[in-house]
Amino acid sequence: MTQAPSNKMRFRMFAVMLAITIGIGSVLVYQLFNIQFVKGEEYQRSAVEQQMRSLKIAPARGEIQDTNGKILAVSATVWNVIVDPVVVDKEVKNGQTEADIIAENLAPILEMDAAVIKEKCLTPNTRSVFLKKRIEKPQQEAINQFLTDHPSIRSVYMLEDTKRYYPYGSLASTVIGFVNDENVGGAGLESQYNKVLSGTPGMVVTAKTARENDMDTRYQQRYEPENGHSLVLTLDETIQHFLEKHIENAVNEHNIKNRAVGIVMDVNTGAILGMTTKPDFDPNNFKEISDPAAKERLVLAAVASGGTNTDAYREALSNEQNLQWRNKAVSDPYEPGSVFKVITAATALDTGSASLNNYYDCFGSITVKDREIGCWKLYGHGNQSFAQTLQHSCNPAFVQIGFSIGGATFYDYFDTFGFTQGTGIDLPGEAGSIYHPRERLSTNLVTLASCSFGQTFKVTPIQMITGISTAVNGGNLVTPYLVRQVVDENGSVVEAHEPVIRRQVISEQTSKTIAELMETVVSAPDGSGRNAYLAGYRVGGKTGTSQKLDQVLSEDGREEHVLSFVGVAPMDDPQIAVLVVLDSPELDDVLSSTIAVPVGKYILEDILSYIGVEPKYTAEEMKNLDLTTPNTIGLDLQKAKDTLAEMNLGVKVIGQGETVLKQVPTPSTQIPRDATILLYTDEDIAPNLVEVPNVFGLGTSVVNQMITNAGLNLSFTGGLGRENSVASRQTPEAGTMVEAGTVVTVELTALDTAGVY
Amino acid sequence: MTFLVLVLSLLTVGLVMLFSASYAYAYYYFDNSFYFISRQLVFAVGGVAAMFAASFVDYHFFQRFALPLMGISILLLIVVLFLPAQSGVRRWINVMDIFNFQPSEIAKFAVIVLFSHMIATNHKRIKSFKYGILPFVVILGVVCGLLVLEPHLSGTILVLLLGAIVMLVGGVDIKWFLLAGAAALVLLGIAIMIPGVIPYAQSRLTSWLDPFADPLGQGFQTIQSLYAIGSGGLLGVGIGKSRQKYLYLPEVQNDFVFAIVGEELGFVGATLIIIMFALLVWRGFVIAARAKDRFGMLLAVGLTSQVGLQAFLNIAVVTNTIPNTGISLPFFSYGGTALLMLMGEMGVVLSISRHSAVVKE
Repeated sequence: MTQAPSNKMRFRMFAVMLAITIGIGSVLVYQLFNIQFVKGEEYQRSAVEQQMRSLKIAPARGEIQDTNGKILAVSATVWNVIVDPVVVDKEVKNGQTEADIIAENLAPILEMDAAVIKEKCLTPNTRSVFLKKRIEKPQQEAINQFLTDHPSIRSVYMLEDTKRYYPYGSLASTVIGFVNDENVGGAGLESQYNKVLSGTPGMVVTAKTARENDMDTRYQQRYEPENGHSLVLTLDETIQHFLEKHIENAVNEHNIKNRAVGIVMDVNTGAILGMTTKPDFDPNNFKEISDPAAKERLVLAAVASGGTNTDAYREALSNEQNLQWRNKAVSDPYEPGSVFKVITAATALDTGSASLNNYYDCFGSITVKDREIGCWKLYGHGNQSFAQTLQHSCNPAFVQIGFSIGGATFYDYFDTFGFTQGTGIDLPGEAGSIYHPRERLSTNLVTLASCSFGQTFKVTPIQMITGISTAVNGGNLVTPYLVRQVVDENGSVVEAHEPVIRRQVISEQTSKTIAELMETVVSAPDGSGRNAYLAGYRVGGKTGTSQKLDQVLSEDGREEHVLSFVGVAPMDDPQIAVLVVLDSPELDDVLSSTIAVPVGKYILEDILSYIGVEPKYTAEEMKNLDLTTPNTIGLDLQKAKDTLAEMNLGVKVIGQGETVLKQVPTPSTQIPRDATILLYTDEDIAPNLVEVPNVFGLGTSVVNQMITNAGLNLSFTGGLGRENSVASRQTPEAGTMVEAGTVVTVELTALDTAGVY
Repeated sequence: MTFLVLVLSLLTVGLVMLFSASYAYAYYYFDNSFYFISRQLVFAVGGVAAMFAASFVDYHFFQRFALPLMGISILLLIVVLFLPAQSGVRRWINVMDIFNFQPSEIAKFAVIVLFSHMIATNHKRIKSFKYGILPFVVILGVVCGLLVLEPHLSGTILVLLLGAIVMLVGGVDIKWFLLAGAAALVLLGIAIMIPGVIPYAQSRLTSWLDPFADPLGQGFQTIQSLYAIGSGGLLGVGIGKSRQKYLYLPEVQNDFVFAIVGEELGFVGATLIIIMFALLVWRGFVIAARAKDRFGMLLAVGLTSQVGLQAFLNIAVVTNTIPNTGISLPFFSYGGTALLMLMGEMGVVLSISRHSAVVKE
């Protein structure tokens, strides 16, 4: 029984041991090697994929502020409410399922139909359904309360998101742009600076169990979001407001068909102080069409295509949206027309092809090869000085000036003035210009002739105002820009944009001369820009009325025109330039000098006083300057009469009393120097009401007569050369009943047809 | 001594890894991270005590009870068939809801003891069919037949393999093994071809060959196991830091605990554990070789082989080296009675060692 094991047994045992240990063992180690090294990465990736859940943390989008820190765009936290249908408990408890409870409680909070919510809670084959996007704080709190009250509900959760607010509504909307539903800048600065503004999203990576719960926090890794930077613009909300007000008025008044552009630029730095395209949109509701005319077109499209749920309608809507978002100031090249004559003149003077002493004949037209180019003045301007050619905006003269420059040189200056490239403004969608090549300009005289007065090529409004700035600022081509600073969330400057001078284009002397010439366009008695005359300010400018050559006839068979005006002030030290471009007013016989120029003037008037340029009146201007009524109420009648007589004002006494009880116009009212003051000396005298006559379109003498006869005081505004002017606006409006002696302000507009081209 | 150290080391590592692997599962299903480990610890302490106790018992004690032991285990294997099924199979006997135990554990031990005894007593006639083959085949046939009825495929295979090893070392003619091996292959082939003979044989085979063919069904467990081991790399994600144990890997505290070993300890750790099991087998066989008699030797071979085979078959399943069969990892997998049995058996090996030590060296 107790026999020791035999050697054969030991041998067999040894074999078995080897088989188990070395044999199987090495197979297993080999297999481990395969799993952990050969295929390890693949398995690991798959494992991580199923184990990890990453949640994006949206960074706060930076603000957009105007140059004074007024907030033009700001983001606020909102929440997206999400349900995970897989987690929704399908079991019926107390006659209700979880979906019922959610629907019933959230419907009033989210202002949604309970049935819709329930349906969303039961969406098959998905882990997340948006119940509602972008709810605000009070709703978020209400939902949190609901979730606290129902701890068993784990299917509903909220994720932070941001919403963009534009406190000034449509102000500068085509410049600022908007943020789309995905929180990405969709146009304008929001798009251009999207990366800067949006920051870097953070992330929470959570390891989750197979039951979707989070593993403990050791496995959680949080990457903080980097909040977006804010933009401080060169744009000034006040200037922008002035600009938009006047451009919008012009659009409404003249039924501008293809939108209007206004730009205000610092000529020395290129800083954009204001920029608008009207009509525009409200970036708070960027998809909504703002322009009533566009809305009408959409209604027609809906009717034509049989409802709003058609492809045709959707296309029409999308077109209208794109149109209202489009920043015409940088995206739409136009034929600059006579405004460009400033550039031609600068080229001629800088190259020495012409001097102020040169004289040019105009016989009403000029023949270039087989082409006859007419002047707007049928019988011609006769013999004119170089300065007068610009004041008159005489095409035949400019053809001659262009020829004296020569096509090649003309092109070279065109190029160095920056008209062959985009300006490099920090806005998306800047269009290039459309122009003739150097070779063509040097060989084709007709082309050179038309280019000399700004036709047959196209530049963008921003290129045009940049070129004008170059012409008056000492000759430096600057890069226009809108963002002055990029600041972080603490307000520290991350990046400052310094003005960029790209090159000197013309000499300082030429530039100075051009500024002087532009001033005479406004100040000369027959200057085409004289409607921009602003008493006390030295304003220069140039008008332009260009034919749209590529689109000769409008629908009703008339020529369409682009009316434009560029104004610069103050001319002794040019600081700001204003460009107004009105694309196709409804009436085709209107001219820049009568429509675009006043718009430019209003804008300049508001801006110059706002930026604190001190008005300096000439003796002539002083004579026309308004006075302020003194207070004579309570004075002895004689004393009152003396006071008014001292100021050379007329007096009319009503009543028998000895003391002034009432005065019209009331004290501290702006009145013209030749006004008559009504003094009331009796008590209980009924106010003497008179009707304001309609003086629209009448000449100055007739206006004077009508207003005075009505027993009212008259104050003219606007322009020199009253002889050729007519009343274009009046306040109070015609038909208003006012007290006798009230001041009626009548605005004059030069009527003659200066500046056709 | 080396054997004892290896057993205790494996037990320690096994307990640590069981805790690490099971606590997430325990937390989610029993609301108590310590659910498995606390129970296992109790059995481990009991197991160590049982081991020492057994090591002091003369192993010839079992020789006397070899036949009754076999009788009891066959009885239990019959009883279990009449008890309610758990998870669809009838492998466990539930004792008053306190613990579950598998009669197959006892059957394995009974087969090893009885075979060792039979061979030791009939060593001279072992080459004959009547004494060398017939009784063994009958016993294996009865035991395996009952196991197949549970059904318990892995238990069946293990009993067959252990019986064969004891017989082989005991001196049974090699030709029978060749014959049996050939017959087994043929039978296996036929069994796989005919659906229903081995439950789910074909689907198990396909999911073994390509677990990704049915990633959410048959292949799920294997894939999750591979993900776990694959995530380990050279040094592992660190002890306690497995992510696959967070309810991704089913049976993480049981048959698949080694996958978490691979994930947390990496290639180095997993290989070390394989080496530890190999060393245990080696030391067990050294004890067998030094046993003073044939019974002791065969007993030591059988018991050591049982641990080694079970460990390696388990690891082979976890690494998808062989098709998935329910086989637990000694010292690591959760299961109180199994651990108690195992430790007792290790005590028996130590007892064999104790009685030979006087003779050798």
